Amino acid sequence: MIAANNRLQLGEIATSWADLADAASLPDPVAVCTDDPTTAFAAVRHHADHGTELLVAARSRIDETLRAELIEAGFALPDDGVPAHRAADPGRLWLLTSGSTGRPKRVAHTLAGLTTVTAPQPPRVWLCPYSPGSYAWWQLVTLSLAVPGQDLVVPSTVDDWAAAAVAHRVTAVSGTPTFWRQALYRHGDELAGLALAQVTLGGEPVDQPILDALRAAFPTARISWIYASSEVGAAVVVHDGRAGFPASWLDRAAGDRPRLSVVDGELLVGSPHRGLDQPELIRTGDRAQLSGDRVLLPGRLGHDEINVGGTKVSAGAVREVLLGHPAVRWARVTGRRAPLVGQVVSAEIVTDGSVDSVDLQRFAGERLAETAVPRHIRILSEIPVKETLKSDV
Amino acid sequence: MNSDGSAAPISALNRDQLRELLTQVLAAQGKDLPAGESAELAAIGFRSLDFSELALRVEDEIGRELNFDAPGLRTIRTVGDVLDFLTELQDPA
Repeated sequence: MIAANNRLQLGEIATSWADLADAASLPDPVAVCTDDPTTAFAAVRHHADHGTELLVAARSRIDETLRAELIEAGFALPDDGVPAHRAADPGRLWLLTSGSTGRPKRVAHTLAGLTTVTAPQPPRVWLCPYSPGSYAWWQLVTLSLAVPGQDLVVPSTVDDWAAAAVAHRVTAVSGTPTFWRQALYRHGDELAGLALAQVTLGGEPVDQPILDALRAAFPTARISWIYASSEVGAAVVVHDGRAGFPASWLDRAAGDRPRLSVVDGELLVGSPHRGLDQPELIRTGDRAQLSGDRVLLPGRLGHDEINVGGTKVSAGAVREVLLGHPAVRWARVTGRRAPLVGQVVSAEIVTDGSVDSVDLQRFAGERLAETAVPRHIRILSEIPVKETLKSDV
Repeated sequence: MNSDGSAAPISALNRDQLRELLTQVLAAQGKDLPAGESAELAAIGFRSLDFSELALRVEDEIGRELNFDAPGLRTIRTVGDVLDFLTELQDPA
């Protein structure tokens, strides 16, 4: 059942799911590669009505290699005049992984599988800043498609989102932690004009400082963070304003809930929302750390480790300390090649302008082991954001 | 100055400039660099991580990576040894 009356503000175009019926005529199977929200949403409506085998992706994500792979896999690419050259698999949806750990991969889903919320919800006007076809984009699109009272506003550009949100009376916003840090840093005045009832974060490690900053900015909103990916689906949803999830959720009887385990410091998830071709229990590659009554997810395994003279340093742990400084708006921590010790900890940081790199080194030095203190700090003028709204932290 | 108005990297730092960077590395930890070049690194608390940081600061100033593979083994015991070594590392030959 389609919640046909839900309104869609797609850039400058005001429409609804009802208006988008028969708005698209698509081959089958088809890859709709577009940065135009109306084209993407019309393709979704077409799929909901006809079961067209569909992959939606931002045009800018499709490089020559990926384009060749899609053609090889039999998809039509209408904008490029490429016809489909195999029979469609009815009802199949394809997502591209974000590519954080390599080239984007295709993951098979269905509309029903991506629709993780079907119960009645309080009426909301959601801002959807995500690029078409990402898992987070599908989460908001399926919510609006399935649940009455869930309108969507897609800003013309992500940079304009705060003005669009105020203009269209947005009451709920979902974004990555990077998106939110940038929002609090750049759009503070405009955010004050938003009466948000719901603030959602996901797609990257969610740390306590960003949750606290959002609580201060939106004291009456429900603040939720979600652990989800194209492969795993939505697996963890936390509403208590604290980083990590309760340790009591580990290894509990699953029922229709995702099963969560930690093995050798890695989060394993068995989720009913996983991709169709994914194993029952998925090794996520994400580090999981028990801390008191919580399980924290500070970053990727392997990618997170910096070897400083034989001592293993967690980039996520260093980043968390830096983000704990009140003047720091954003931080990325990496290893940099260095003589004698192989690598040293290096940080790129955006601040409010009230501190310099010496202050930050001193701050880190009071809280971290000597090998974990950033020995190279670069102050950036603004937060770098990729189209996935993530920032490779 | 480059054509776009940005500061051009210096091709190599002289001994005074290297000493200034060394002073900055120590100052960030609340330590002072004694006059002259004979002070022992152990005595002033200048350790491997500090040397690494200094080398990265030099790389940032000259806009290129230092070639740590080129020089042979040596003893770096004093402030003068550090300055000698970094001077040599900056030599593109």
